[in-house]
Amino acid sequence: MSRIQIDGLTKCFSKVTAVDRVSLDINHGDFLVLLGPSGCGKSTLLRMIAGLIEPSSGRVLLDGRDVTFTPPRERDMAMVFQSYALYPHLTVERNIGFPLRSRRRPRAEIREKVREAAELLELADLLDRRPRQLSGGQRQRVAVGRALVRDPGAFLMDEPLSNLDAKLRTATRGQLRALHHRLGSTIVYVTHDQVEAMTMATRVAVLNAGRLEQVGSPTEVYDRPASAFVADFLGAPPMNLLPVRAESHSGRVRLFAPGIEVALWEAGDFPARDIVMGVRPEHLVTVPTTAESPMFRGRVETVENLGSEEVAQCAVGDATLLVRGPRPLGLRPGEQVAVDAAADRLHMFDQASGHRLRWRAPDVSPSPPASLSPPSSSPPSSPRAVFASRSARPV
Amino acid sequence: MFVTLAAVEAPEVPASYPAARPSAARRVRRALPPFLYLTPGLGCLAVWTYRPLAEAARLSFYSWNLLPSRPKVPVGLDNYADVLQLPQLRSSLWLTVTIIVCLLPFSVVLPTIVALLTQQVRGRANAVYRALVFAPVLVAPVASAAIWEWLLDPRHGGVDRLLGSPVNWLHERGPAQLAVIVITGWHLLGFAVLVVAAGLAGINDDYAAAAQLDGATRRQIIRWITLPLLSPTLVLLALMTVLLSGQLTFPLIDTLTQGGPGDATTNVYYLLWEYGFKSFNAGLAAAAGLVFFLGFGMVAGCLVWLFEKLSFHDN
Ligand SMILES: Nc1ncnc2c1ncn2[C@@H]1O[C@H](COP(=O)(O)OP(=O)(O)OP(=O)(O)O)[C@@H](O)[C@H]1O
Ligand SMILES: [Mg+2]
Repeated sequence: MSRIQIDGLTKCFSKVTAVDRVSLDINHGDFLVLLGPSGCGKSTLLRMIAGLIEPSSGRVLLDGRDVTFTPPRERDMAMVFQSYALYPHLTVERNIGFPLRSRRRPRAEIREKVREAAELLELADLLDRRPRQLSGGQRQRVAVGRALVRDPGAFLMDEPLSNLDAKLRTATRGQLRALHHRLGSTIVYVTHDQVEAMTMATRVAVLNAGRLEQVGSPTEVYDRPASAFVADFLGAPPMNLLPVRAESHSGRVRLFAPGIEVALWEAGDFPARDIVMGVRPEHLVTVPTTAESPMFRGRVETVENLGSEEVAQCAVGDATLLVRGPRPLGLRPGEQVAVDAAADRLHMFDQASGHRLRWRAPDVSPSPPASLSPPSSSPPSSPRAVFASRSARPV
Repeated sequence: MFVTLAAVEAPEVPASYPAARPSAARRVRRALPPFLYLTPGLGCLAVWTYRPLAEAARLSFYSWNLLPSRPKVPVGLDNYADVLQLPQLRSSLWLTVTIIVCLLPFSVVLPTIVALLTQQVRGRANAVYRALVFAPVLVAPVASAAIWEWLLDPRHGGVDRLLGSPVNWLHERGPAQLAVIVITGWHLLGFAVLVVAAGLAGINDDYAAAAQLDGATRRQIIRWITLPLLSPTLVLLALMTVLLSGQLTFPLIDTLTQGGPGDATTNVYYLLWEYGFKSFNAGLAAAAGLVFFLGFGMVAGCLVWLFEKLSFHDN
């Protein structure tokens, strides 16, 4: 039973602010993945939750109790380190039993619990070995075993799979997910691998340069990225982000740039502005070049074979557009190409801040419609309709 | 009908590729450079270490008084028999062992405690305290012996005034031995602290962090994690104490007590030196040197074996 609340947590090292006012509420049983590029402060945040680093400001609450300055020993958490930190001079059995031994449990109980954990993780044959006699995957399992042997309130994991090869990683992902299912405990998991985040998390928190960009289910984060950063970070190949000009054109919202011409819903006059339009490569479809008014016109530059799919890189104006689809895409380098997408697959972001934009029809309803679906009520005729940038996060 | 498609086929390998092997002269020339680079070092070792050793071994079978004009008389194993019957041999051996054992607290125990206590000190304070602890190492033993002689002066010396008791440090048996041990320890301490601090720095911080999360107290971490991982360093320090105690104590004994009072501070090294260069009995000194060489070699071998066994190849 562990709910972890993080309240405005900040950590400044002498010059860098590694973690910047991060607030999170991690419910009991959540599998929260902290996702972000290298150096964005994931490990620092996790170590503050563990109590290994003292925060510069902010609070950590565990089940409502303030533990900001409680030593790690007294927080009911277990951690799996990126290096695994298996004690090199102890056997697997003693490594797994260490948390119980330090709590002075009776020897028989330790042996029993270690045996249980070893069986669960298929380590029973390796109990007499030293860590250096184990393979990477086995070490990882020992580290997990050491974490779960005393049934902690929460697990903290810092990139536990990054030392494994691709195949083992896939298998271990499944095992961790099953383990979470079985134990039902809270897991905070750090990774920079979006596949791990998408496949294991119940919730994903995306960090960028120490700041929290978005928190949500994997689906939400992927389908409705709160910022251009999140849109770019999730997805391989990443979302196409194209600078365009949004303006009112014969009663409709129109986005345009060289090679790009997108007519959206009806709207009155609104001040034109430069924005960033985003669309995922897999949401693009090629249409005949003779088509009436495709969104993008360009030239195919290269086509990449991913096995089951192909990714075509197209030059559209000065920008590059990635189109992804089942093989064969039927495109050849040098060809002219016309590409289209469904209007509700488009995302829009503020050019300066990168925050997601939504359409707000003024004076229509107090709760405006969702992001880019055209206004469901009568088309706004007010000349003051605008793109509004959501105040992305509380500060 | 199904036909199997061949996978990538390995080409037939001929029994021997023609003319692929370089000629013998060429291979020698290619293998030579590493050895050429090693020659200066090996040469120095041969000239300055192994040749004297061989000379000493030869000398131990002769009787000679170091005068070039006098002949060396072969005496067989007599020198060795004499060494084993030397009246001071037992007491000096015993003193050597005592000194080594009494130095271990200074070279192993105290440095470990100091390094652990000051582990948390960071930044400039750390540099300052290290410089303070290390300073005695930089003082030449003979110079420090002179200063200590002055400090240990009966009645007027700083030590006696501090203790308020008139002990004639360098002219009484026990106090003289104690003085030699403590001054050597004082010399050794700073260096040993640095070695232990380096050993501690080499231990990945993650182990302590993991142990903290696993519920271990600071003492448990030190006992179960830090000390075992530090043990190779500690064995190395013990080895150093055993092997270097002779070199470290010799200048002090020679300046402060000359092995006295009586033979209270005559350890085997000083004994050896006395026979060789005071009594001019070169053959006897050489024989004694070889006996000690073999004895210490065995002790060192045991410690090296222990060192290898305790290294966990932490990765
Ligand atoms: N002890 C420290 N002193 C100074 N700066 C630090 C320290 N630890 C981390 N930083 C800085 O804080 C930032 C965040 O570091 P952190 O280790 O949390 O990154 P991360 O997201 O875990 O990256 P990675 O995915 O590479 O592990 C980095 O810019 C790093 O340089
Ligand atoms: Mg990290």
